[in-house]
Amino acid sequence: MALTVVLTACGDDSGSTADGPTIRLRGQDFSEAVTIAEVYGQYLQAKGYDVEILTPAGYRTEAIDGLRNDELDLIVDYIGGSLTALAPDAATSSDPDEVVAIIGPAYEEIGATLLDYSPAVDGDAFVVRGDSPASTISDVAELGYVFGASAQCFERPQCYLGYTDPAIYGIAFADTVTIEFGPLLGEALAANEVDAVVWNTTAPQIIEQGFKVLEDDQGLHPAQNIAPIISSNVLAEYGDQLSDDLNELSAAISTDDLLAWNTETDIAKRESDDVATEWLEAEGLN
Amino acid sequence: MTLLGQAPVPRDIGVFEWLLDPNSWTGPDGILVSLANTVILCAVVVVVAIVTMVPLASWLAHTRRGEVSVSWTVTLSRAIPTFAVAGLLVPISLRSGWGFEPWPIFIALLLLALPPIFLNTYTAIQQVDPGVVDASRAMGYSETSVLVRVELALATSVMLAGVRVAAVTVVATEPIRAFLGGDGLGRYVRDGLGQNNDALVIAGAMLIAGLAGLTALSFRLIERFALPDGVRRLATTTTR
Amino acid sequence: MIPLFGQAPNPIVRWEYFIDEWDQIQRALIEHLELTVYAVTLGLVVSAGLSAIALRFRRTAAPINGVTAFLYTIPSVALFGILVPYFGLSRLSAVLPLAAYTLLILVTNIVAGFNSVSPEVREAADGMGMTPARRILHVELPLAMPYIVAGLRIAVVSTVGLVTVAAIIGQGGLGRLILDGLRRAFWTPMTIGAALSILLALALDGLILGAGKWLTPWAQRGRSAL
Repeated sequence: MALTVVLTACGDDSGSTADGPTIRLRGQDFSEAVTIAEVYGQYLQAKGYDVEILTPAGYRTEAIDGLRNDELDLIVDYIGGSLTALAPDAATSSDPDEVVAIIGPAYEEIGATLLDYSPAVDGDAFVVRGDSPASTISDVAELGYVFGASAQCFERPQCYLGYTDPAIYGIAFADTVTIEFGPLLGEALAANEVDAVVWNTTAPQIIEQGFKVLEDDQGLHPAQNIAPIISSNVLAEYGDQLSDDLNELSAAISTDDLLAWNTETDIAKRESDDVATEWLEAEGLN
Repeated sequence: MTLLGQAPVPRDIGVFEWLLDPNSWTGPDGILVSLANTVILCAVVVVVAIVTMVPLASWLAHTRRGEVSVSWTVTLSRAIPTFAVAGLLVPISLRSGWGFEPWPIFIALLLLALPPIFLNTYTAIQQVDPGVVDASRAMGYSETSVLVRVELALATSVMLAGVRVAAVTVVATEPIRAFLGGDGLGRYVRDGLGQNNDALVIAGAMLIAGLAGLTALSFRLIERFALPDGVRRLATTTTR
Repeated sequence: MIPLFGQAPNPIVRWEYFIDEWDQIQRALIEHLELTVYAVTLGLVVSAGLSAIALRFRRTAAPINGVTAFLYTIPSVALFGILVPYFGLSRLSAVLPLAAYTLLILVTNIVAGFNSVSPEVREAADGMGMTPARRILHVELPLAMPYIVAGLRIAVVSTVGLVTVAAIIGQGGLGRLILDGLRRAFWTPMTIGAALSILLALALDGLILGAGKWLTPWAQRGRSAL
């Protein structure tokens, strides 16, 4: 036992050996978030930080609560989603800087620091079958489509409420179905159970099954860049080195990378930790 | 199925505030419609289970067959994770062009309902005093008559207990339907969980528990009044 | 860029997954077993207490039955979901509801077991000079065993099934495999998760059945209580 401890301590001679508290990281419970958590976690581990990658569980609410209750130290979220969770009454925007200006201080209030956002975006996608005549969301207004989405879409102003709001899109859907977020959306769309679904832009099944993402011509969908949020206390212990490292990683991730990761996990059915390791190696980041 | 114009449930609403609001009950998303959906599906499942299991179990018990299989079938079926079964069936159903409902949830719930009814019917027939059976044979009853007019009649209370357990289990499990593209009473728990609306989750749970309790109560009343004179069987441990 | 795979085989079980992810599967199995044991143990302890009350104070029997029955009908998804804001994504949020669901069957069976002891037997024990404690422990409990064992079997098997649902709060053991499969439309973990949970349930059921027979050799002669 003592031998293992000594070996571990001597083991990290590549890069900086960081001294500080354990960074507890937990990804949200869907494949893209799991891969993102693995990427950030393994990256930090390779840099010598003591990281504990916890079992993925829960969603945004649990992630933010984890930070607030000091059960987690690092989470990665989509800035538009953070906005809806932390400042539900604030106006959303498709401009990431505007969003960050609001959620930055909101995170400070719960003892966390929002770091730089990544160019990688996974936003809302209004998806229809490839043979649909529509090319923008406005085109759907009179088509009498059946709409499918997850439960939370139906109470979000940037989702169902916005699509049906006469002042925004004013779409008259023939019917609606509540479907759990994930590949079931694609299955239902392909099976003609629904004609339009709200999915995410990096869902690999969209391309794989020849679906179409309609243009958000009214700018309803908020900016959804990914960004790491770190406990302010932990950040203080490590100093600038940690924030620089995290920002370097965030800058290196692109939207295409998210799509590639999802294709690996959801189409090729590979595991998130393997996908993360491969990507970090390919980018020379671990 | 939410239609245009039906507002989502506000997050800060109180549990009883929502339950007592008439708007929560009416309309295509209302509690009454969801209740009807749930009751219809559960009723069909239980009826199918009765129609298939009672004849099979009675015959097996009457002819003294299938003793070993009984215990294992019950354990096995109770061990099957219902959500996994239904979840596995949904994509198959979709790809076969049958839509989200009714087959995946129907089959999954049927698997839950079959064992208690089978087991209780089997045990009940098996427990009928052989002396009574012999006496009726001696009086000239045909085998079918013995089965139907004697054994089944005496076995009724235990069988009804089995139907009760099946019905309550089905009603309590039916909410998973809402997570698989359907609706029914489970939709409020689903919506509440997805929308971080605790009041909706609690209210939804109360509705389901309430219906299950009502189902149990109704069957207990039926059992009490359906007994043949002077015969009361203990039906506690066989199934639950 | 990671080279993309062209075709994705998605059979019912992909055996490479089973081998590659064996560590993960093993961990899930152990977690599943742990949760089951914690939940049933807690349930048994609470049920023993409730049964004692119900047997001692007859009038509490019906209300206790009502409460345990009520708990049983609360949909598991809701109960897990409600506890998370209070206890977080922890074992406690999973174990408490799981234990609650065992109360109905355990209390019902423990009470039925002790009620099955005929008054003559009790009188005989008292007549032989046994204190109530000795009588309960050495006479009534062994006689009630078949019922208790039957209830334990049902409780354990049901709990194994319900632990899979706890995956939605990250505590699901084998349920995590099932949920992961559902989320990625990947049949292999779903099938493995479901199959292993069934096998685990059957194994535990057999174990308890065996233990029951060993503890009550006299009950094997004559009609067995299921």
